[in-house]
Amino acid sequence: MSIEKITNPFDARHWIGHMEADYMYTLGVVGERFFKELKENGRIMGTRCPNCSIVYVPPRMYCERCFAKLEEWIDVGKKGTIHTFTIATIEKDGKKLEKPVIYALIKFEGAHGGMIHKIGETDTVCIGMKVEAVLKSPEERKASINDIAYFRPTK
Amino acid sequence: MYGKKRVAIVGAGLTLFRRRLKETGKELAYEAAKMALDAAGLELRDIQSVVMGTAPDAFDGVHMKGEYLADGAGAYHKPYTRVFVGGGTGVFTPLAGWWHIASGQFDTCLVVCEEKMSSCYPHPQYAFTTIFDPILERPIGMNLIWIFALEMQRYMHKHNIKKEHIALVSVKNKGNALDHPCAQLAARITVDDVLNSEIMAWPVQRLDVSPTSDGGAALVLVSEDVAKEITDNPVWIDGVGWCIDSTHWTNRDLYYPDYVEYAARMAYKMAGIKNPPKEIDVAEPYDPFDYKELHHMEGLLLCKKGEAPKLTAEGVTQRDGDLPINPSGGLLGVGNPIAAAGLMKVCEIFWQLRGEAGKRQIPGDPRTGIAQAWGDLMQYGSVIVLRR
Repeated sequence: MSIEKITNPFDARHWIGHMEADYMYTLGVVGERFFKELKENGRIMGTRCPNCSIVYVPPRMYCERCFAKLEEWIDVGKKGTIHTFTIATIEKDGKKLEKPVIYALIKFEGAHGGMIHKIGETDTVCIGMKVEAVLKSPEERKASINDIAYFRPTK
Repeated sequence: MYGKKRVAIVGAGLTLFRRRLKETGKELAYEAAKMALDAAGLELRDIQSVVMGTAPDAFDGVHMKGEYLADGAGAYHKPYTRVFVGGGTGVFTPLAGWWHIASGQFDTCLVVCEEKMSSCYPHPQYAFTTIFDPILERPIGMNLIWIFALEMQRYMHKHNIKKEHIALVSVKNKGNALDHPCAQLAARITVDDVLNSEIMAWPVQRLDVSPTSDGGAALVLVSEDVAKEITDNPVWIDGVGWCIDSTHWTNRDLYYPDYVEYAARMAYKMAGIKNPPKEIDVAEPYDPFDYKELHHMEGLLLCKKGEAPKLTAEGVTQRDGDLPINPSGGLLGVGNPIAAAGLMKVCEIFWQLRGEAGKRQIPGDPRTGIAQAWGDLMQYGSVIVLRR
């Protein structure tokens, strides 16, 4: 078995290949309604399980705990709390980011679920901080999770 | 007894772990499998079934990686299965091997794990970006390091744990790996080295993290009847457990791995273990990040919630401590070719229980050991209990 340490990957005899495949993902039955509400009405919606009293945000078609089909939609508002966060300083290729970016897991008030998103309009952050979603303008919204530009501390 | 037949491990094999090895994935699988067979004193013709464990296809860069690796794993003209449960694969693969024999269907099973992450160029981190929900998470630009940073932050916050206490795990494991002939990142480092290393995504720094690696590992599993014929010192698989939590990781608290506890309880019940810290002599919990060793010690019920950093600081988890944790050097020291890294942990417990761990051998007379792996989106636990 080879024991030499290869520091330059091109030193080993090799073949460069690609795995080319592009994808088009449907938003799904529940996703379509969630993103339509976000784009057209600027609302963040969840679905509620009547058996488990759990409000799923983002919404789900079914409750993973009891397998009930979820029909009840609830506007959970735009306010939440930072459950945990990270300050990213490097890119996935290892390069340094020009400016650190804060990402947080935000739990919505009155809901079971949460969402990972950027935190903006602040350089400081802590667990327990109250934040609110800042939506892009209606013209800019494309029915994507990035229709939420970021979350910012509530004033 | 659980199952129709008791199952023993009778041989183990492990390749070097390196950032980039010349061998192809098939060749790595072959090297490990051949070593395990030689150690067991068996030939390929003695093997009735083969289970292969390997992580996302995107690493090796071959869709249908299971069939691609089959010949290297010794599967020619044999019943063959590839299993994959993310980072949990390495410990799950011998569990799948266990049920091949425990079901009564086979008397021998070759268990092989392989990962060649270096094929994904320039860095396997690119493959990790596509493990997230394509609609809710990937558009934000998700990166694997972040979710660990989020979990580490939550764990530290919940129990008021300082980074210097977590860094002790990295110091211990990289130090332990100095005695491992296969190790990729063995080193004598200090807590300050960890705290001064490059910040990747706060609180995660460079030396908190295991490397990406190429490597292979293998075990030979046999039924009790065969074990009695071919060896005087079999190591028994006395407990198996596995569990998955919600894929919606944003719905969880993250400070504690419930799913690891459920997997551990399943395995302990089968093994008749009632007091894990007293009855377990050595453990290899999954440590791709330093905080994960602590997180998993708690999930495995080896200590109370939030107590693992204290035990580490007191030296309890050193090789000569009361409860040696990751005497191999773990993923932080030996390396992290995903599936092979998990199986490396089972190999280590096998060698420790047989007294064959060389310079890594823990003192005393270890009779019961556990290995655990963890994966998917911070949601999967696989646990195995071995006894001499």
